[in-house]
Amino acid sequence: MKWPRVALGAFVALGIAELAGFFVTSRRKPDFSDWAALVAPVAEERKQGELVVVAPSWGEPLARQALGDEVFPLRDVARPDVSRYRAALEISAFGERSPELSGFRETGRREVGPFVIRRLENPSPAEVVFDFVDGLGPAQASVRTTNPEAECPWTTNARVIAGGLGGHPTFPAARFECPGGPFFNIGPTVIAADEAFRPRRCLFAHPPARGEVVTRFAGVPLGSVIRGHGGMYWIIERERKGAPVALAVRVDGEEIGRWEHRDGDGWAAFEMPLGVHAGKKSATVEFFVSSKNHAHRHFCFEADTR
Amino acid sequence: MSGAKLTWKDDLVAALLAGLVMVLLVATVGDLGYARDEGFYFHAADSYRRWFELLFANPRAAFEPKAIDSAWRVNSEHPGLIKSLFALSNLLLQKKWHLFAMEGTSYRFPAIFLAGAGVALVYRWGAEARGRIAGLFAAIALFCMPRFFYNAHLACFDVPIVTMFLLATYCFWKAMREGGRRWPIAAGLAFGLALDTKHNAWFLPILAVTFALLCLVRDRLTGGDTKETLRRAMAALGAMAVLGPLVMYALWPWIWRDTFARLGAYASFHLNHEYYNMEFFGRTYWTPPMPRLYAPVMTAATVPTVTLALFALGLGVRARARIQAFLRARAGKITRRDGGETDLFWLMAIGISYGAWVLPKTPIFGGTKHWMQAYPFIALFAGAGASWLVSVARVELRKLSAATIRRFARGPAAAMGLFAALLAAPIAETAASHPWGLSNYVPLVGGAKGAATLGLNRSFWGYTTGAVVDYLNREVPKSGTVYIHDTAWPSWEMLQKDGRLRKDIRGVGAVHEADFALYHHEQHMQGQEYQAWVAYGTVQPAHVAGLHGTPVIWIYRRKGR
Repeated sequence: MKWPRVALGAFVALGIAELAGFFVTSRRKPDFSDWAALVAPVAEERKQGELVVVAPSWGEPLARQALGDEVFPLRDVARPDVSRYRAALEISAFGERSPELSGFRETGRREVGPFVIRRLENPSPAEVVFDFVDGLGPAQASVRTTNPEAECPWTTNARVIAGGLGGHPTFPAARFECPGGPFFNIGPTVIAADEAFRPRRCLFAHPPARGEVVTRFAGVPLGSVIRGHGGMYWIIERERKGAPVALAVRVDGEEIGRWEHRDGDGWAAFEMPLGVHAGKKSATVEFFVSSKNHAHRHFCFEADTR
Repeated sequence: MSGAKLTWKDDLVAALLAGLVMVLLVATVGDLGYARDEGFYFHAADSYRRWFELLFANPRAAFEPKAIDSAWRVNSEHPGLIKSLFALSNLLLQKKWHLFAMEGTSYRFPAIFLAGAGVALVYRWGAEARGRIAGLFAAIALFCMPRFFYNAHLACFDVPIVTMFLLATYCFWKAMREGGRRWPIAAGLAFGLALDTKHNAWFLPILAVTFALLCLVRDRLTGGDTKETLRRAMAALGAMAVLGPLVMYALWPWIWRDTFARLGAYASFHLNHEYYNMEFFGRTYWTPPMPRLYAPVMTAATVPTVTLALFALGLGVRARARIQAFLRARAGKITRRDGGETDLFWLMAIGISYGAWVLPKTPIFGGTKHWMQAYPFIALFAGAGASWLVSVARVELRKLSAATIRRFARGPAAAMGLFAALLAAPIAETAASHPWGLSNYVPLVGGAKGAATLGLNRSFWGYTTGAVVDYLNREVPKSGTVYIHDTAWPSWEMLQKDGRLRKDIRGVGAVHEADFALYHHEQHMQGQEYQAWVAYGTVQPAHVAGLHGTPVIWIYRRKGR
């Protein structure tokens, strides 16, 4: 009988192979200290405004630690999607690729230790004319509620508060504050908006108990559509117990579209053609947010015109 | 591959194994932060400790219903035995005798002791049933499972129930094998201890009854002594039925009054346990249906592959032996009782430990610890497999022409050589996993990095705060504030009592109230990381720590602080 001898050899080989596998996997680069080596190459490769993406995504905190806010501005880290970016740098380890950039074309690559920095170009980048999250502020925006009619004043020194696990996203110091308490504010924040818990920067817009909360932007240059996303903390909407949230958009007083977010939709996209308003140099755009039952409706949306 | 008749030398080996396990665990406990559940049990143990102090000072007052209820109501959703041991250890070993350098170790020591006892018992059972080589290998293989090693440090019930489950099954096995009065009584007492440790013990009667029935079927099929088997089974099961609840009752003062109502509440808590979040292949499961493959996949991803392969080998080797024995018994060629059908019993113990966790309605919040009482039995089969390989190695060595090499066939060299080859990886993986036990994955899935890429849970329970105390002690200004995220308050406070974390650092419960924010990574908690970004105006972590280059915990620092 040969098989006992074969089994003996196979198990000894397995033991040694697992030990070798342990050393290979546990010492596989990059280690924590290796990420610092990216500082100079990324500074050389990255052009102003270019998106930097890390693959695998779990390495991103290490890249953010090494490269800082300048390379990873909040608006890029918590982007709505990649459609607006002309180019991106992908920092890749272990040969991983970012699925988000799968439609981009590789135009260059550079190896830096255990990393590969790939320059990628978007074959059809969107031309964003105006970003409503960036544009929130007293210069162009105002906020009011409809029932009761009330103005929501802008402040830059509101109390910053965060809701913790299962609570609301952080309400920043600079925001429009509506009557009814801190939940009723319009301000830029970041939510974990779908099952993947990806960060999404958006305008917090909790619907009021009655009526609508209206965010009005004046002097907005328009493209051909208003496009955006809406959602809320996945941990809240995954229960699928809340009422739908309605978002209506008016341009110069005319409603151009109405969109509804239902629990379970996640970070869902909407797009509304501007029709006769397309290409205007200056328009007034209003976002109306409401819900039949406002309980736990931590709605947050982002939009641009392109 | 028959068992050995145990002697005092086996007791000595078992004691040495237990001692070594305890020394290693106590030596490494200081690096390990406190898990959430430990924090809750510290709180409960302190309440029980005060009752014990009252008991020693004024027994009459301690037995007043009000005194019992107020002390034992705390954490009454879990039985009292192990928390009582935490309390007594803290009271006697720490407050009276000052045995440990850190307060927290005194709470952890009873579980550490039981981990040592469990490993020793695995040796004894393995040696008795399958020979000393099998027993020794099984004991080491169990200890060198990284998740077992991690849990063995904790002031929790998970490793204690592994030992109590093992003890109760061992006593039952002995009762079925040897009969008499001693082992049935031991089985009843051990079942009571298991009942008072954790609700996993509820599976023991199912295991014991099913096993007894199968033994009776076997006797019918093979012409065995059905009456004797029935007598032994009834003695053991009867003792478990009577002594088990009595021991539990005697050792859990909470159920001394309103017994059935309180037991009902205890059972209801676990039968209707809430669902927590657990990431599995990139998706967080938080409500039924849970993935049926979670338990088998996580076992394969966290138990050393060579140990699992040896388990499969041991199973195969023993299955072949059992089939041969059965056929011989049917043919009337053997009449001797096998003595408990050990292989079947071990296999059933594994099956019942996993049974609940492949059901789609069972919550999977606790990672691998919930079916951990199967691991000693997996190790025992692995020991049987290793023992068979040693016998094969000896045969092969005897065939060699060189006399000097042939000599190795007789002594322990063959076993030692094979042990080195088969245990090197489990030892290396276990040693390197500390203090990141829940982040550790085997090379089969690419280690910690591979598991992160696959979307397997990187950590839970908030215990990794212990791994960043050096950073906090160095960077947090005097009386500075830290958002403790998933760390339980008593766990945070214990780090300060231990002297591991500066006492002036103030833990706070909201990110916006702090200057530093901990973030223990779990997929469903990422929203809290984003809360820190907005509150502090930065996405740049000030500090990142984890296992083998994989981030597990990171810290944000408010700009300008």
